[in-house]
Parts: sequence; structure tokens; C-alpha cells
Amino acid sequence: MNRRQFLASAAAGMLVTPALARGAGAQEGPFRIKYYPVASATGPHDVTPAPDGTIWFTGQRNGTLGRLDPRDGSFKLVDLGKGAAPHNVIIGPDGAPWVTEGGQNAIARVDPGDHKVALFRLPEQAAYANLNTAVFDKSGIYWFTGNSGIYGRLDPTSGDIRVFRAPRGRGPYGMTVTPKGDVWYASLAGNHIARIDLATGNATVVEPPTPNQGARRVWSDSKGRIWVSEWDSGNVSVHDPADGSWKAWKLPGDSPRTYAVYVDDKDKVWLTDFSANAIVRFDPLTEKFKIFPSDRPGANVRQLDGKPGETWGAESGTDRLVVIQTVAPA
Amino acid sequence: MRFLAASLLLFILTAAPSAAAEDGTRLFAPCRACHSLDPAERGLPGPNLAGIIGRKVGGDAAFDYSPVLRKARDAGQRWDAQRLETFLADPADMFPGLWMSIRGIEDAAERRSLVRFLADPLSR
Repeated sequence: MNRRQFLASAAAGMLVTPALARGAGAQEGPFRIKYYPVASATGPHDVTPAPDGTIWFTGQRNGTLGRLDPRDGSFKLVDLGKGAAPHNVIIGPDGAPWVTEGGQNAIARVDPGDHKVALFRLPEQAAYANLNTAVFDKSGIYWFTGNSGIYGRLDPTSGDIRVFRAPRGRGPYGMTVTPKGDVWYASLAGNHIARIDLATGNATVVEPPTPNQGARRVWSDSKGRIWVSEWDSGNVSVHDPADGSWKAWKLPGDSPRTYAVYVDDKDKVWLTDFSANAIVRFDPLTEKFKIFPSDRPGANVRQLDGKPGETWGAESGTDRLVVIQTVAPA
Repeated sequence: MRFLAASLLLFILTAAPSAAAEDGTRLFAPCRACHSLDPAERGLPGPNLAGIIGRKVGGDAAFDYSPVLRKARDAGQRWDAQRLETFLADPADMFPGLWMSIRGIEDAAERRSLVRFLADPLSR
């Protein structure tokens, strides 16, 4: 641990003092918020918990992949290469973090042991793909989106990459895989969500009922319903592919900007709202929102992920990771 | 010999802007996911960038900007080539809390090429 990391983890220790969310009802928590500072100008973008308890995060602003140990707040940054600008990180079936590395127009695999970086570069016809988000399907194929108007698949075993043009051009952004194994993505500029046929690679567009909603990210619940964070409308919506239905709710406040969505193991829906500078929890059963404002301005949490009892995000604007723990009632 | 020199000079004079334009086109490619230089193209995730040089920061009236850009606009800040170059080096450094998220362009020559491209009214 270098001096900067030591100071950062010391700061984390001071900030670790539990801050219970205001107004948390006994039946819904209480919730405990913790912040973990990382190196200045990292620009942490996406996060994902690893099986060993550490948290991987992409440092879009300085071209790194980070690994936080929440037990002591220490972190390590792995340089992904010249010009790197990573966006998303997920854990593969091999236990390694896999990264959409837009700066080098490649998929990066980082060895969790020695942190060596392996790059799978996109073919020339997919130059400037603006790589965004990815998921692994049930057969171990890595599916990814490129905001410039593509999506694609990488077979990690052979290294073979195939790229498909998105049906309505630019916009492919967040991605999710359902418990059944279906893969969906959201198109921010295209104002829709789409399901990918894993055999053919063809995508079928599904239109949300709210026009020009700016579907940014998607996440499946345990029933295979697709939850959508709608940036332009400020809604959270849900689509049930089983019956084709849609429902939508506006987030609280005057002009919400819904950025991230994540559905936890209890099927509670977690969102971020840039206007409110907050992480927001939505309970589909009561249709009630609970707001967790950041304690600093301009937090800008761009993605959420988690594990039972913990929802993680990265405050890209404050260079901190944040976790909201659902504390089990005594 | 004189003809050769003249031809070479002509080549340099004509090739240089063309290379810069190609650079600008290439460098702007990733930006196109959210931005357009066609004044008629609206409704994208980012503001329209037609005529950005000389325009107020946060100056696309049809776009809902981050608080930090609204503040800069209200303070009367305007885009000129130098401000834009500095911005492109590390956008979050100039405007902390910016909603747009990109890594800055490290290479100064590339930043200049992109600014030239953005400043050219013929660029699309």
C-alpha cells in the first residue's frame, strides 16, 4: 500500500462510522451507508462484487481496473494500457473480472491472481464501438454493447468475436441476462430495449410505452421481468416478456434523471437519480421509493450491482465507492 | 527540380488539412453516440454541438445540462478553442460532477484536431 492508498484507507476508516438512512422503516431495514475513497481522478464508473469479498471497479478517468477490499478500505489499481477508458466490469465463470475497455476498443480480462491483462480486440469493422456493458450468458459467451450502434459476442475459449449492427443504430447501453438465460440490452439513443436471439445474434426491439424515454440500463428480476432505468423520462419501468405488459413509475422530485438500475436478491429495485444526487430504492410491492442522498454534491453513481444484503455503486464524481447495507432486524 | 519542389509544396499544403480533417472525423467518431453536428438533429443523449465555438457553455437551449454546466452558463462562460482544448484534456477536472463521462484526450495534437473539426461549420 502506498502513501496515497494508506491515507485513503485511513479516510475510509473515519467515514465508515455507520450513517443510518433517515426515516428508514423497521420493516425495510434499517440501511447502513458506507463510503470508500479511492485515488483522486480515478473516475470510478462500474462496480461488481467478487466471490472473495473484494469489489472490482473500473476507473474510466485514469484507465484502470480497481480492486477494493472493504474489510480495510485498501485498494489496488491495475493499469489497463495506453489510452484505456474502461466502462463496465463483471465477473466471468472463470472468476476473473472482464472489462469493456472502450479506449482500446477491446474486451479486457484481468487475471485475479497476478492482475495480468489480456485484450480481445474488436474487429476493424467495429472501430470506435464505444464499448459499454456486458453479461455472460448461461453457456459462457460474453455479450457486450457498443454505444456507437453495435452489440456483439466473445467466446472466451476461442477468442472469436462477432459483432452485429444494432437495429436502430447508435444507443446500445446497459445489458442484463434473465434467470432463464435470455439476454437483453437497452438503447439510450434508440429509446427501446431489445432481446438478442443467442443462436442467430438477431435483436428484437421492444418499445416502452413512454416515448423518448431514454432507456439507459436494464436488469432482470428473479421472474425474468426486465427493469429499465429511463434517463429522459425519469421513470423506472418494467416489462414482462411473458405477457408483453409494461408498468412505469416516475421517480420522486421535479425532474428526475434515472441512470442506473439493479434488482437485488429480494426483487427490490435500486436506482440512481442524478437530479436528486441519490441512490433510490423502489419496492415493487408497496410502490414506494426511499431516497439515499449522497453526503457530497455531484456524486453521479452510474451503475449498481450487489450481493445479498449489499448494494454497491461508484460515485464517479467524488472518487468513492458506496455500499448500502440492508441490516437484518435484531 | 523546381517543378518537383513546387509539387512537393503543393502536396504538403493540400495534404495537411486533409489529414487533420481525417483526424477530426476519426476523433469525433466515439462522440457520435451522443452528439451531432447537424443542427437539425435533435433528441440525442448529448447536446447538439453545431456552432459550439463562441457559444455559451451549456448553450443548447433544448438540452438539460448538469448543474455544473448550468452554473458555468449562468456565470457567462463561453466556448472558445482554448477552453474546449482544456476541457477535452480532462472534462471532469474543468467541470467536477459533469454528467457526461469520458476519459480526456491526452495527446495535445489530437485535441487540436478535434477542436478544429468541431469549429468547422462544414463538419458533420
